[in-house]
Amino acid sequence: MAATRRLQKELNDIRQSDQKGFRDIRVDDSNILFWQGLIVPDVPPYNKGAFKIEISFPAEYPFKPPKLAFKTKIYHPNVDEKGQICLPIISPENWKPATKTDQVIQALLALIHDPEPEHPLRGDLAEEFTKDKKKFMKNAEDFTKKFSERRPSD
Amino acid sequence: MNSKENNSAEGGDRAARDPAPSETEVSPVNEGEGMKRAAAKQLIERYYYQLTNGCGDPNCRNAYCSSCPEFCFRHADRNSLALRAIDLFRSKVKLCDDHSNKVRRPSQDSDDFEETSIKGERPSTSSTLDAENYVTNIVSAFIPSVSKVTYLTEEKVYSIIDDCKAQDDWSKLIHTIGSVFNSPDSLILSFRKDAIYKKKSPVVSPSESKTRCSDISEKSSMDCLKSESGRDLSVKNKKPSNILDSVTLDIDALRRTFSRLMDIPGHPFQSALINALRSLSKAVEMDIKYHNALKRDPNYINVFLIVFEIPLLHSPEFIENAFPVFCRALGHLSIHGQTLLAKVLSQYPVDRLSEMLQALQQLIIVKVITGEGQWGQHCQLNDDDGIVGATKVMKIIYYASIYGGKCDSPDQIEKEKRLESLEGEESNEFLQGAVGLEKEPYTVKEDPLGKELSVRASDCRKPLIPFDEFVNDPLNDHIDISTDYAYYRAESDLKFSFVTHNFILTTASKHTSMYFDNRIRMLNERRTSFLQTIIHGAPPMPYLKLNVRRTHVVEDALISLEMFAMQNPGDLKKQLFVEFDGEQGLDEGGVSKEFFQLVVERLFNPDIGMFTHNEDCNLYWFNPTSFENDGQFTLIGILLGLAIYNSCILDIHFPMVVYRKLMGKIGTMDDLYEFDSSLASGLQQVLDYPDDDLEDIFMLNFHVSYHDVFGNNLTTDLKPDGSTIAVTSKNKQEYVDLYIDFILNKSVERQFKAFKRGFTMVTNESPLRMLFRPDEIELLVCGSKVLDFHALEEATEYDNGFTAQSKTIRNFWEVVHEFPESEKRKLLQFTTGTDRVPVGGLSKLKLTIAKNGPDSDRLPTSHTCFNVLLLPDYNTKDKLEERLLKAIMYSKGFGML
Repeated sequence: MAATRRLQKELNDIRQSDQKGFRDIRVDDSNILFWQGLIVPDVPPYNKGAFKIEISFPAEYPFKPPKLAFKTKIYHPNVDEKGQICLPIISPENWKPATKTDQVIQALLALIHDPEPEHPLRGDLAEEFTKDKKKFMKNAEDFTKKFSERRPSD
Repeated sequence: MNSKENNSAEGGDRAARDPAPSETEVSPVNEGEGMKRAAAKQLIERYYYQLTNGCGDPNCRNAYCSSCPEFCFRHADRNSLALRAIDLFRSKVKLCDDHSNKVRRPSQDSDDFEETSIKGERPSTSSTLDAENYVTNIVSAFIPSVSKVTYLTEEKVYSIIDDCKAQDDWSKLIHTIGSVFNSPDSLILSFRKDAIYKKKSPVVSPSESKTRCSDISEKSSMDCLKSESGRDLSVKNKKPSNILDSVTLDIDALRRTFSRLMDIPGHPFQSALINALRSLSKAVEMDIKYHNALKRDPNYINVFLIVFEIPLLHSPEFIENAFPVFCRALGHLSIHGQTLLAKVLSQYPVDRLSEMLQALQQLIIVKVITGEGQWGQHCQLNDDDGIVGATKVMKIIYYASIYGGKCDSPDQIEKEKRLESLEGEESNEFLQGAVGLEKEPYTVKEDPLGKELSVRASDCRKPLIPFDEFVNDPLNDHIDISTDYAYYRAESDLKFSFVTHNFILTTASKHTSMYFDNRIRMLNERRTSFLQTIIHGAPPMPYLKLNVRRTHVVEDALISLEMFAMQNPGDLKKQLFVEFDGEQGLDEGGVSKEFFQLVVERLFNPDIGMFTHNEDCNLYWFNPTSFENDGQFTLIGILLGLAIYNSCILDIHFPMVVYRKLMGKIGTMDDLYEFDSSLASGLQQVLDYPDDDLEDIFMLNFHVSYHDVFGNNLTTDLKPDGSTIAVTSKNKQEYVDLYIDFILNKSVERQFKAFKRGFTMVTNESPLRMLFRPDEIELLVCGSKVLDFHALEEATEYDNGFTAQSKTIRNFWEVVHEFPESEKRKLLQFTTGTDRVPVGGLSKLKLTIAKNGPDSDRLPTSHTCFNVLLLPDYNTKDKLEERLLKAIMYSKGFGML
């Protein structure tokens, strides 16, 4: 498979880097184009839980960008109810084949930590975020506690 | 009195009129000695007639003109006047040139015209000669000094302008322009950038000046040769950047001069220029028709370039008089000359080229419009000299635009030719094997100019000027395609056909032209089938008759079309006639329209797996892993061909590359952008990646992976052992090329071949490839995508009691214009049998709305064959809307009412 060599290396690199924010990466041996992992934010209001994501790479990777999706519900202006994310770095117009998956993950973490209400996928949350930050933080924290995955112990 | 004294006597006057007389006296020589002789002869004749007859202007101030009150040779006899004429010619005294074209009066006293000994170079004879012979003799004696021709330079024009401005008298400018633009020889020498003027020869003896001049001319022609060969080389390398260098005309200076001239209020020189151009055109026509002027002197091309630079060219006065004549003259240019001109023009800035094109278009439009009403049986557009000339000139610009545009690489074209001939052999085998008789394949006549330049419109992705700017709408409105087609078939040089200049035609006109071709072919088929009947006693089959069951459209169509293809592929060219099993509909077009629709709907269904659908751009592509046998793809190809042949429109969404491939092109990077832009830009970034660590960053190998319809990942090596070869910054281009070749060509080779075979079965003997570009084929197959119902309303006709003013009709259009897009399409489907727009837009649909009885509860009905909508005279708008919607929503099938 064309993308195999590169993806295998990227996967190894990410695993070896042993980062806190993205961990527990599971990849089926038969299909390296599909990754699952856990996003562990360390900034409130999301630092009360962890979030499962899926990364699917197209067959034409790295010429075409991978797709990201949250599998755990998250209260965030830039993630819609289905878990889809609008991340500029992997939009077809901006995608650069030289971009590594690790960079994509870092961009995702940055977006989670620092929502961009100017480009929302959920207008209601974006409005709450800008108008009543306190209320937003409270809601997001409750939501995280209620729906998110358990954080790894270490 | 000799001429020198004369000059000094008239010195004041002369100097004012001609500030740089010495400059004019330089005698640049070119090879065409005969031409110079002729020019000199003409000039001397003009001096002579000025001396004998005068210019006709009683206020003439030229002391050497008999019309002038101060005429200095008033009492001289004709013989001495003839001598004077030669003197005047040698010293370049000013001519009253506005009457230079005056038809020479036959001299009654030519009999007492006594031959005089001239300079002792010729033995005097006592025989009497007529004026012309006389002058010719004189001329032959004075060849060396004869080569003096007036010409213009930038500085000269400026100084003349300044002079004239100072005196507030433009006659000098008018005269100068008139005389220079009058003669090709003067123009050739004007605005030269080579050193030709700088070599001022002081007074030299004739023989000396001759050698000197020939030196110069040799040198300049050597230069020409050099740059010529240099250009040829560069053409091979596709870098034709220095063609302009080989042109001796200083175009920039010329443009500056013209813009300066244009600043003069009122353009006083205009009529002089027009007159000069007219006689210039005559001279040019003679020169290129009979004297092969361009071959003798490559600089002859300057004449055309200068004339095309005249900014007034598209002004009404020029279009009325001078420009058409010039175009006609230029129309006689040999292929060699056209090629040269096209190459030079291809280096012009695009906006200049566009302006030239606009001027030509304007000329044609004016000609077409002014002739409006007369075009018909006895007067064809094809016979109008101005239009034909302009079209021929436009062709040169057309090819210049292609030549200078972005074309496919020669390697690619080479590859395509190879593939083409390979496929041709295969398909010939296939067809012959089936038919058993050999048929002449339709040979595409390549345009001679295109061949000379080795460019084809289909190889050009981005010409300098977009193709559709060459289309002339008024011409298309008035052209009679049947006559044009007849002219084309006549294949005579005397008959001009727009088929060979089809860039000026709209797709619709070209389609009509192909329609005639098809019909004639079909008639031929019918005739043979009738003959066969007589001989073999087989039942006559004038049509391509298909009987299909509505439930098994694809299968039935496949079987019967395959039968036709095996027995006699020629049958496919017959008029299609479809019957649905158990339905009464008689196929006058409507039934086959629905047949096409149904088959296409079925075959493109993603469940069948023949095609994959790309949601991003709503385009279909061949499924590389399809299980269908080739027959299904051949069927689609046949349908595509039949649709074009029978003027049907299909709801097919192929990317353009499919049509390009049908025309013998192969898919490249540019095609990938339309069809999968994210993949294309990804690959482009690999190419653009600047650093050497490409291998470490991308970690690519020479193989490609893709999904099949079930979502499985498949991998294929791009070259042997590709999976072990890494892509590096050195071989990345090869990788990308192979990748794209795989996606667009290799992976669907089997499917596309079958598809194309079907298409060529139907179209192999039609002028399709000569007439249409890939994007026009798409238009023919799919129709235009825009629904303009206002155009439809304007073109709609009414019948059976309805008029455009009827209340029901007004209600109808109000209702329809408010329909959303989807319902407009349904209405089209209902009335015409297809929801696609025909070539040329909805106005070409010829919709008729007919009254179907008084107000009643009956639903509207339609004859899809004739695009007729039958509408009861409903009382209210609401009822009309309700009935109409009901009809278009629940319609399918044919039946008698």
